[in-house]
Amino acid sequence: MHERLSFYIKRDSALHHLNPLTKLTLVFGLVLISFLSPWYWTPHTLLMLVIIPLSFIGKVNREFFRAFLRLILPAASFLFLMQAFFQPIGGHVIFKIWFLDITQESLMFAFRNAIRIIVMVSSFTLFLLTTHPSELMSDLTRRGLPGQFAYVIISTLQILPQMQAKAQTIISAQRSRGLDTQSSFFRRVGSLGPLVGPLVFGSLVEVEERAIAIEARGFTSTHTKTSLYDIPDTNLDRTIRWILIALVILVIALKIWLS
Amino acid sequence: MRETAMQRQKTSSWLNIGSNFNTMTWVLIPVAIAINIAIGQIVVLLKLPVFLDSIGTVLVAALCGPWAGAVTGALSNTIWGLAIDPNALPWWPVAFFIGLVAGLCANAGLFKSWWKVVVTGFLVALTAATISTPIAVYLYGGITASGSSFITAYLLQTGQGVLQAVFSTSFLVEPVDKITTCMLAFAIVQGLSKRFVARFPRPENVEAEGGANQTQLYIAVGVVVLLVLFAAFMLRNVLGG
Repeated sequence: MHERLSFYIKRDSALHHLNPLTKLTLVFGLVLISFLSPWYWTPHTLLMLVIIPLSFIGKVNREFFRAFLRLILPAASFLFLMQAFFQPIGGHVIFKIWFLDITQESLMFAFRNAIRIIVMVSSFTLFLLTTHPSELMSDLTRRGLPGQFAYVIISTLQILPQMQAKAQTIISAQRSRGLDTQSSFFRRVGSLGPLVGPLVFGSLVEVEERAIAIEARGFTSTHTKTSLYDIPDTNLDRTIRWILIALVILVIALKIWLS
Repeated sequence: MRETAMQRQKTSSWLNIGSNFNTMTWVLIPVAIAINIAIGQIVVLLKLPVFLDSIGTVLVAALCGPWAGAVTGALSNTIWGLAIDPNALPWWPVAFFIGLVAGLCANAGLFKSWWKVVVTGFLVALTAATISTPIAVYLYGGITASGSSFITAYLLQTGQGVLQAVFSTSFLVEPVDKITTCMLAFAIVQGLSKRFVARFPRPENVEAEGGANQTQLYIAVGVVVLLVLFAAFMLRNVLGG
């Protein structure tokens, strides 16, 4: 299990004990509300009053803020700057650099868009920090997701780190044999072949053996499979899910009514 | 397993979703997704101006059919979003249609020689540009966090509409990327043994016509140049000069 690629951090908190589907509904609810809400300040309020407190409830605030500063904030700031400068809307010019002008409208527009993206990405990050991938997949399979999809997702998460390690080995091996990966453009294009070839063919060779192996273990069987783990789904979970769905419908109705 | 796959092919039309999936398909999909991500990262390391992040998707689409390709694309972006960069999540419809269109082209026999693969790449690029435009416009207001957004920004400043600016940017960037992707996928398929390919649902899609040789590769490169010139010409007409 330790070889698997995931953000998951094992803690003991209320958020960790929620059913995975409830957390998934929460994420989609937050994203939909922040994108569809008719009021300007909704995404900002959601970020401050829902997502950040949730990271404290889930006891993952340290990791959450690290991901926030390293991954989310740089991308969002870049987006904010690009949009503030380049959206040609509005008349109130605040200041001008060369041919670029920042207007009050484009600034407001860029600010809201950046915050929406932050809400989207950070609520997913929070979800991934508090939910183990296999837990999510077992729960969804029990609710009727075909087992093949669960297999694809879980097995990709296992193959990926192995593949990346293999890619690193191949790059080092080819460099030690004198492959040029740093100089001119055409040299770099030329070095794509010796790097991609061994990686791809090496991993395709394993496909056939794996297919026979899982076939022998009843992969294509249509009978219902039993699960070793029991994932609790309490009344609280169900209530939270219904409240979230009601909220999303309310926001959509408001959006249509107010516009 | 091989016999059932062979029997299914005879009755399969492109709407027959089940015929795309046998056990080999389900096992190939995770490997293809890992190929997408690993090659995408090698390309970043080599600092090439393309993405090449859907080689695995095109590979599955050609070997197993359009729906298998579509599933690979959609799951690829989902997993990329879940495991590496959450920004990749909203783009899953683009990957879905890349797989679907590549598979349809392969079913139509456009994955059998170098120049036909170039045509496939071009069609895939058109689809990708069309599908990604509304996502970029409605989710990001036209300007995303990728480097090619500088072109969009420039076009916006010259007074273009948002939709037009975003579409012409992807129209400039996508063909080069997707044609290279399809040609690499074709090269990979040609390197696989016939015995191995025969175990997938649609081995007849990738039987090379008269061998894939050097001359054909040069013709294909010529076709690429022509297509890019044609695209540039069309673009100027569409945008009104």
